[in-house]
Amino acid sequence: MLTTTGRAAQDAGEHAFIDEVIARRAGRPGALLGILEDVQEHTPHKYLCSDDLRYIAARTGTPLSQIFSVVAFYALFNREPQGEHTIAICRGTACHTRGSRNLLEKLRLDFGLTADADGAQADKLTLTTRDRKFTLRTVACFGQCALAPVVELDHRICGHMNEQALAREVKALVEEKRS
Amino acid sequence: MSRIEDLSTFNDVRERGVAKLLPGVPRIAVGMGTCGRGNGAEGVYHALAERISYYGMDVQLVGTGCFGPCSEEPLVNVFIPGQPLVILRRVQASDADRILSAITTGHVPAELAWCKVEDWDHVTAHFKYGHGYPELPDWRDIPFFAGQKKIVLRNCGVINPDDIEEYIGVGGYQALYKVLIDGRPESVIEQIKAAKLRGRGGAGYLTGLKWDFMAKARDVEKYVICNADEGDPGAYMNRNEIESDPHALLEGIIIGGYVMKSTKGIIYVRSEYPLAVHRLERAIEQARQYGLLGVKILDRPFDFDIELVEGAGAFVCGEETALIASLEGQAGRPRPRPPFPAEQGLFGRPTNINNVETWYNVPPIIIKGPAWFTETGSARSAGTKVFSLVGKVRNTGLVEMPLGTPLKTFVYGIGGGGAPGRSIKAVQTGGPSGGCIPQEMFDTPVDYETLAQLGSIMGSGGMVVMDEDNCMVDVARYFIEFTHSESCGKCVPCRVGLDVSLKILDDFTTGKGTAAQLDQIVELGRMIRDTSLCGLGQSAPNPVLTTMRHFRHEFEDHMIAKRCRAGVCGSLALSPCENSCPLHMNIPRFLALLKQNRLEDAFESVVMDNPLPASTGRVCQHPCDNRCRRQTIDEAVNMREVHRFIADAIYQSDRFDALAARVVARKLPATGYRMAVAGAGPTGLTAAFYLALLGHQVTVYDGKPEAGGMLRYALPEYRLPKAVLAKEIEMIARLGVQFVFNTRIGFDLSLNDLGSSHDVVFISIGTWKESWVHLPGTELKGVMPALPLLEAVSRGEAPPLGRKVLIIGGGNAAVDAARTARRHGAEAAIVYRRERKDMPAIAEEVHAAEQEGVKIVFLAAPHRILGDGEGNVKALEVVRTRLGEYDRSGRRKPVSTGEVIRMDCDAVVLAVGETVDADFCRASGFSLTEGGTLVVDRFTLETSRPNFYAGGDVISGASNVSNAMGYGKKAARIIDERLMGAGRLAQVLPGFDYVPRAPDQLSSARRHETAVLPAAERAQSVEEVAIGLSAACALEEARRCLHCDARG
Amino acid sequence: MPEAGQKKVSIRIDGELVQLPASHTILQAAAMAGRFIPTLCHFDGLADAGACRLCVVEVSGVARLLPACTTPVQEGMSVVTDSPKLAAYRRMILELLLAERNHVCAVCVSNGHCELQNLAAQLGVASVRYPYRYPKLPVDLSHPRFVLDQNRCILCSRCVRVCASVEGAHVWNVMSRGIHSMVVADLNDPWGDASSCTGCGKCVNACPTGALSEKGQAVEEMMKNTAQLVTIAMRKAVRA
Repeated sequence: MLTTTGRAAQDAGEHAFIDEVIARRAGRPGALLGILEDVQEHTPHKYLCSDDLRYIAARTGTPLSQIFSVVAFYALFNREPQGEHTIAICRGTACHTRGSRNLLEKLRLDFGLTADADGAQADKLTLTTRDRKFTLRTVACFGQCALAPVVELDHRICGHMNEQALAREVKALVEEKRS
Repeated sequence: MSRIEDLSTFNDVRERGVAKLLPGVPRIAVGMGTCGRGNGAEGVYHALAERISYYGMDVQLVGTGCFGPCSEEPLVNVFIPGQPLVILRRVQASDADRILSAITTGHVPAELAWCKVEDWDHVTAHFKYGHGYPELPDWRDIPFFAGQKKIVLRNCGVINPDDIEEYIGVGGYQALYKVLIDGRPESVIEQIKAAKLRGRGGAGYLTGLKWDFMAKARDVEKYVICNADEGDPGAYMNRNEIESDPHALLEGIIIGGYVMKSTKGIIYVRSEYPLAVHRLERAIEQARQYGLLGVKILDRPFDFDIELVEGAGAFVCGEETALIASLEGQAGRPRPRPPFPAEQGLFGRPTNINNVETWYNVPPIIIKGPAWFTETGSARSAGTKVFSLVGKVRNTGLVEMPLGTPLKTFVYGIGGGGAPGRSIKAVQTGGPSGGCIPQEMFDTPVDYETLAQLGSIMGSGGMVVMDEDNCMVDVARYFIEFTHSESCGKCVPCRVGLDVSLKILDDFTTGKGTAAQLDQIVELGRMIRDTSLCGLGQSAPNPVLTTMRHFRHEFEDHMIAKRCRAGVCGSLALSPCENSCPLHMNIPRFLALLKQNRLEDAFESVVMDNPLPASTGRVCQHPCDNRCRRQTIDEAVNMREVHRFIADAIYQSDRFDALAARVVARKLPATGYRMAVAGAGPTGLTAAFYLALLGHQVTVYDGKPEAGGMLRYALPEYRLPKAVLAKEIEMIARLGVQFVFNTRIGFDLSLNDLGSSHDVVFISIGTWKESWVHLPGTELKGVMPALPLLEAVSRGEAPPLGRKVLIIGGGNAAVDAARTARRHGAEAAIVYRRERKDMPAIAEEVHAAEQEGVKIVFLAAPHRILGDGEGNVKALEVVRTRLGEYDRSGRRKPVSTGEVIRMDCDAVVLAVGETVDADFCRASGFSLTEGGTLVVDRFTLETSRPNFYAGGDVISGASNVSNAMGYGKKAARIIDERLMGAGRLAQVLPGFDYVPRAPDQLSSARRHETAVLPAAERAQSVEEVAIGLSAACALEEARRCLHCDARG
Repeated sequence: MPEAGQKKVSIRIDGELVQLPASHTILQAAAMAGRFIPTLCHFDGLADAGACRLCVVEVSGVARLLPACTTPVQEGMSVVTDSPKLAAYRRMILELLLAERNHVCAVCVSNGHCELQNLAAQLGVASVRYPYRYPKLPVDLSHPRFVLDQNRCILCSRCVRVCASVEGAHVWNVMSRGIHSMVVADLNDPWGDASSCTGCGKCVNACPTGALSEKGQAVEEMMKNTAQLVTIAMRKAVRA
């Protein structure tokens, strides 16, 4: 729990960063996307909280509803804190034809993650484990089709995956962090 | 600062670049594109760097982009002054020393060298490296590169993308220089128009027209945009182009900016491509330093700069109006056109948007001229296109081919065909906006118009090859799921129409689809296509509409038979192995029962699924091996040998009677129906087994003196001992099945008589006619068809083979005949017109034959048979063949080379395939197919005659034992259901106390193969060759099963 | 576009000759010719979104169907506003809308005054062939005067556009994408908490269905004052 002064100090730091980003990008094509990308990347859990969004809206003179519409439209933006490790499973055609759905199902089982009630969303997802250790997400295509099926573990691309190799990589991810 | 301001500074930079590319010292270039890195290229680079500095060598080490063949990564190219450039493939970090020590002696490591490049056409420059290395093939002779023409990829994998001087060294920025010096933008537009360059992003609109439109728009600000939001799953050419040669893209855009009178360029690139973003940032920085971006470019009165914008993960932003919305800080929802971007685009200003690859084509057109450009490609689609060839082909990667190249060249030529034992079914082009083109249409030239006619599109150039393991219903569903989740939601047809489509496809993949839905999804698809707001919605139904057009039968399989042949739709199959088995044996169950030491239960499970387990355990083609998921770890579980072990263990023990009684006890009460089964081969025996179990009175008729069909009369003793088969037939007889032998249906007993004395007749007479080869000399003594030969041997006769036998053919019968000849003391050679991998015979059998001394002559077709003066065979003349065009089976057609070889022999055996006895068919009055087989309903096996059903080879043409038995089982189920009004087969099948569960302890052992008699011993005897698995090995195999039947 | 506004062009709407300024759309031309083209997202005075696709028409010489609301007239154009194919497509679109959320008229405040309902009756949509989704979406009662029932929303975006271009408040936008799209106020805040809302009620009057309504209305009671809003919007559009 942060004390009030602690939070204020943190907010001040965050605001200074946002101001700097806005100064750098405002008025250029794609400014809003760029600002949101930078701010999200800067936050510890890689997500955009309402306070930051309100601050960005006020500073850039952008309607709140427009900001929310953008954040909720693009797959890159997170509205929830992300896990310590991110595992992204490619759902491109080549990966699909080489069994990426099985990999996804396997990890979901292993992590105890269930899809939301709306089954249609099941294959397009971002799920974070309760302990915030892992975020499992799908990516439309990494463009690494010749390495299919491809999984990205904390920004490292691993090709030609199978269930065993994936389990090994996930285990290594945890151990790497520990050591 | 090396700002280029005039020709002499330009030339200075160019010379510096050339010196880097053709240095006086060896140059090693490591392919460091994302695919190279994914395969360990960074490790290779660092190892080389470390060793070079350790040895203090004078070697230039650079990173390049990707050369194209992704499946051969990491790629390294080595240049030693005066020698050709050599491409090394699959290089590992541990190879560093080997490479460097070879270089010090002026060589390249032979085991890594793949091909050489003696000269390279950069289009904007021509490089001569040198001649040498006669032992190495030229790069153009490697199948993957054959026919490729690198215009877009002209520099990829050769130059260092992070060094502008290397780009200038190969003639880069020369086109820009020329355009700026000429100072006549109109003439550039005319050139682009004359080159008939079409947009490479998918729609194929003429670039020149687009530019003209934009150039004429008047405004204080205009934008030129490069669309690098490559989002088609399965397409990654833009990523590679940018990573490997970013300056060529910049040059194209700067030229575009100049001729369209814009000062602001924007590259909108996917954020999923971090390396491409990084390389572009660097390239833009360098271009500014060299005076190629910014104010007064090349010291001419032209200001232009380029801004990089990263997308945020939305496929629809590939749509130009959505991309503009995105740049304006809005959600990427497309806007109606008109107004078109060229009138009112970004921030309401005139805007031109072109795809990455379109821009790459600009500098070459300016340097070489439009006439040169239109030389390549087809009449309406000029130039080349880069495709990403991925999926189920051996060679994957990026290929640049002239437009109009037939699809089969991509799949079989460049791609090298499918994996062994898998046949290719379709190619998906154009990603979620495209469609699937079936294998029968692989002659299709790949250009904009032809693909559109087939309901697909070229799109951005993704080509995903699908084989028999891919379910087309699943593929259609996959793409709809993709567009469904990428739909922006603005317009109703796309938003809701795709949601309904997805639900319908869900129903099909789970076996709940209906005929009404089949029509509904087509109707919906047309509406979505015709009314949607943007290109995403308008093209989203293409994958469904094309699969419905070309693969409707797969939808029907899912709907009517509740079967997914590819084994992809999980809820329609128990496990991949069960799904692939024509008898649908519950393989995971018998493996588990064996593992639990419940041999008798395992036997009952096996025999109730498959009444001839000891026979199939020896001779089945084991399609289950191909589907086993254990292959993703090491090799398939040896399921065939385990069920053979289980069957043998019971048949050869005193428990046979007890277990036979257990089977007989499952028989249902008599129904009073009388069934006739014509043909006592595997199909007929299987049908008889199940029909008898279901309580019907069954009589089996056969023209031969004993039951078993091909199993009894065509398979040699050494593969399937007669005693084993006899035991299995005894089990069937115990169910009360009657046999009438020496009675040919249609000859000794008419079909009418059979029909009137039975309620149902099942025809399973097989294919007993050997196809004849039309050659001069087949009338000679000593020329014989394979089947009668094998049959005679099975009766214990010794055929007149002489000392030397030649067998024509490549199937199992050919191999059996050859091995039989060896056992009769003759030398045997098989003459086959194609290559080893094309042989239809079981690979293990071919291998065993060779061990026994059978020779196989590949690429040789029979020409004529020569006789001596007395009418006896004395030689066979064969003509050497080479492999030509790909035929419809995906194999290359053998073509005569004209070279004739004479092979002396005493006998010639013809084993080129069996067909249905045409005499029987003609007399029967049944409808026949063109191939001479009986016409039946695909789902019910009914013939054109009421109460007559047919199955096995007589409807499928010559096939194999398990397929034949599958028909017998299916026929019994359907016939019973028809007569009794309900499906009852499940009632006779036993249940077991067995819960499918993923194994706690998975065996890490590799696959166990059957023990075999030593080759030397077996060539002289008729003893069974394959001895089978030991109990310990069978148990270990059962422990290797991953249990795909377990449901999480 | 003032310079284009003056030039007149002649086109045919279902064979009838119409003359009108080149800046006009096919939808406006059809209105002049007295021909009815169905639409749910068009609202006089607001920029068109081209979202509902009900207004697609056939134009001779053009292979594709064109939306009447966003296609400007061109000299010599010949437009067919109704055909068996168009009628079938329009019915399908209405069926999709009816299946998408919850449009049980019997319990709706707008029953009897709903554009979706009227159009369905007019185009002869008697039954829906597609499975109803019934997604159970929230009803926002937080605003003191108005109600937002997401279950009745057809995502025509009239509320978004009227709020932005006429009121200038930008309260509304659309979040997520595809079938998960939903209208949101501010940062997906309860409407009553949305700081940008002026409470003018223009969105309510622009809404074609019962998605936006005044509080305290019973079934069938919600009558939208469309005419007045059109006047305001048109005046604003002319000034802009």
